[in-house]
Amino acid sequence: MTRTFDHTNTIWCAGCGHFGVRNTLVSALRDLEVPPHETMVLAGIGCSGTIQNNVEAYGYHALHGRVLPAALGVALTNPHLTIIAAGGDGDGYAIGVGHLVHTFKRNPAMVYLLMNNAVYGLTKGQDSPTAAPSHETAEQGMDGISLGLALPGTTFLARAFTGAPEQMDRLMRAALIHSQQGRGFAFLEILSPCVTYNDTYADWAGRVVDLEADDHYDRFDRAKAFGRVHEVSEGGGIPTGLIFEGDGTDMAARIMVKGAVAPAHQPTDVDAHLDGYRDLMAEYAV
Amino acid sequence: MSKPKTIIDLTAMVAGQGGDGSLTVISILTELLARRGYHLFTSRNVASRIKGGLAAATMRGSVARRGCLGDSFDLLVAFDQEAIDLNGHLVADDGVVIYDASDGPLDRASLAEAVKVIEVPFGRYAVRDLRRDLFKNSLSFGVISRLLGIAQDEAQDCLTHTLRRLPPRLLEPNVRAFRFGLDFADEVGLGLGQGPWCVDRVAREEQLLINGNDALAFGFMAAGGRFYAGYPITPATEILEFLQKHLPARGGIALQAEDELAAVNMAIGAAMTGTRAMTGSSSPGYSLMQEGIVHAGSAEIPLVIVDSQRSGPSTGMPTKPEQSDLDMMVFGGNGEFPRIVLAPGGPKDCFDLAVTATNLAQRLQCPVIIALDQAVAQDARTTPYFDLEAVEAEPGVRLDAAGLSKMAAYGRYQITESGVSPWAVPGTPGGMNLITGNERNEWGLVSTKPDVRQAMAEKRMRKIAALGDDLPRGQRFGDDGAEVGILGIGMQAGVMDEAVARLKVSGIAVAGLQPRTLWPVPQETLAFIAKRRRVVVVEHNMEGQLRRLLMGVGANGDRLGSVRKYNGAPFGPSELVAELLSDPAFADNVAEMEIVA
Repeated sequence: MTRTFDHTNTIWCAGCGHFGVRNTLVSALRDLEVPPHETMVLAGIGCSGTIQNNVEAYGYHALHGRVLPAALGVALTNPHLTIIAAGGDGDGYAIGVGHLVHTFKRNPAMVYLLMNNAVYGLTKGQDSPTAAPSHETAEQGMDGISLGLALPGTTFLARAFTGAPEQMDRLMRAALIHSQQGRGFAFLEILSPCVTYNDTYADWAGRVVDLEADDHYDRFDRAKAFGRVHEVSEGGGIPTGLIFEGDGTDMAARIMVKGAVAPAHQPTDVDAHLDGYRDLMAEYAV
Repeated sequence: MSKPKTIIDLTAMVAGQGGDGSLTVISILTELLARRGYHLFTSRNVASRIKGGLAAATMRGSVARRGCLGDSFDLLVAFDQEAIDLNGHLVADDGVVIYDASDGPLDRASLAEAVKVIEVPFGRYAVRDLRRDLFKNSLSFGVISRLLGIAQDEAQDCLTHTLRRLPPRLLEPNVRAFRFGLDFADEVGLGLGQGPWCVDRVAREEQLLINGNDALAFGFMAAGGRFYAGYPITPATEILEFLQKHLPARGGIALQAEDELAAVNMAIGAAMTGTRAMTGSSSPGYSLMQEGIVHAGSAEIPLVIVDSQRSGPSTGMPTKPEQSDLDMMVFGGNGEFPRIVLAPGGPKDCFDLAVTATNLAQRLQCPVIIALDQAVAQDARTTPYFDLEAVEAEPGVRLDAAGLSKMAAYGRYQITESGVSPWAVPGTPGGMNLITGNERNEWGLVSTKPDVRQAMAEKRMRKIAALGDDLPRGQRFGDDGAEVGILGIGMQAGVMDEAVARLKVSGIAVAGLQPRTLWPVPQETLAFIAKRRRVVVVEHNMEGQLRRLLMGVGANGDRLGSVRKYNGAPFGPSELVAELLSDPAFADNVAEMEIVA
């Protein structure tokens, strides 16, 4: 057996929520029997951006905010892979928020774990886009679930909390299955407190509201989900659970000819298409 | 009445407001000259707007192969006075102007005395008799065909062929408009054979009429390129459009991204699965992509990036050519990383260098940049058929499961002599590895240890050193033994070739080099300079970036002359000749020649 990189060393502070995220991801991949060599974890910049070093899989460390377009390039050229994009709230909601909007719109088959700790931890404690409005900037916090609900084409919007590991485990599996079944982009925001710069364990534990705990909650109804999310938020709560699920087809399946060989596995030699190239050249003949 | 002159080199412009259909007239004329076996060069001169703004389509048809427009226009078709005011001074002294007099008679202040003017109220005729202003194009072509002494059948066939995609209800009035044009010509004494010119009939093998953007996209595809991402921008959009049209049928994908940052990162993602990937843009868009290009250099990802340069700075002049991103392509971005910059000079170069770039990226696992300029990107010219059989897709250093099983350990960034590390792409059993733009150890795990850092930085740069001179050679022209030379890239190639040929006729021997590898500067380029008393660097920018680049790698600045232009207009052959003669070294040659005479 060829030895590959040691994926056991983490950089996180003791008590960091990210441990839970990583462990949940690893166990879900194992239980769903996804082979490590067919898994790719792509992560952004920040504490969350090291999670790929701690999973036995192909890993990629993206530029700050650019993990989603890179993951899209992977997803379209080799749809056979199970793709997990990961990043923090700075990565996904600040510098990379434009890409998030367009990834919602495109619905590619991948899981996006947005590890939200409402602070820039790695740079030592600056406000992030989800920072509470009471801070001196007085900017209102950003809500990725509402953003996703507002965009037609989203198919999976969920929020977990590392303080509720059973729910996180359930949502992680649901997200992976959603992507594996070719239904598209599974967006899972995970409230993952930063014990050093913004210890929100107690605060968040008291505010999370699992929308699915209500038997009458209909996660397939976008308008009602939107209403409920805002109702809970305005009451000071943080809505969690599988908040919205919609019908959709993964982008690769939409744009590729059915049954076609993935771009990554296409023959590269010119002979494979020589006649077609000759015909194309003839269109320019004078 | 004098006998018509056989015109073996015709430069023509059709100008009006955007949407007037100037391009259609040029296309029909191009078809006509192509059938007579002429070589063709076509160029556009438009404002950056959908309709309106002065728009001109230009072409040169010549018995000899040419890579630029002629010095002046033998024929100018002007749909309004503004077209005359702006272009009249560019009409040859013995040229002909066809003027749409629908809005009144021509003010010919900008025209030379001897220029012959034919005034026709095209627009008015078209509206009156055909109920649509746009038919004035075909009407004007009727008159043009008489100027060139082309019989009705032949001219009409060119027209219907060029407009063959129009539905019959639109084609028919165009044919009628063309015939109106002939009737009008008869009325003003321009019967067949009464025009100033006739067109030769020469034997030329069938060729392609293609622009640089299309040729480049074709080359990338032929070299196995299967993923492209871009964001619409003039003058690079044709690459995206070509690949969107042609890649899907070959199992590939071309994607319009939300911005250039996304485009370059999508291409990086695609490249990581082993797919041959490219992204492209024009100057301000390339500037946005730099973060991703640097990242590909650091993370060792094979990626081809195109910069179809336009006039800068900032959004500059979107439709005008410039070569002012050389510093950015060669030196731009944070930190130091290996990169190659190739510079095609025409459609054939674009095809060939796209193949080379795609292969080099795979071989070296680093960014390979292709430097176009608006003229190379969008001008079309007759080009021999691409040699498809010669295209080879180099596989690069890949690891499969069998190769991996023989290794005790595998990490992505193994230190090697060549600097290139064996690569297992995702999906390869047992090859799990880490790709990162941070400094890292051989496993791909972040490391800031001084010795690791130094070894990794040197490993990356070794890729370029190991390449030696195995990079595309330049294009030579003129007299290689001459002691004065000229040197320029991209859009300068065609005009330099013609300027050198003209100087030769005047008895001045000049050597010409169009380097096709810009960075690293090949030994060939430095040797070309070292061998001569004087080499004038011809470039489209204000600061002389190419000259500065050459001096930076050891070229003797005392020997390097400089001819620069940065007003958005390409050099014409006589203009360049005059510029060269203003260099003392060239002028000396003239003096010596006169003494000899």
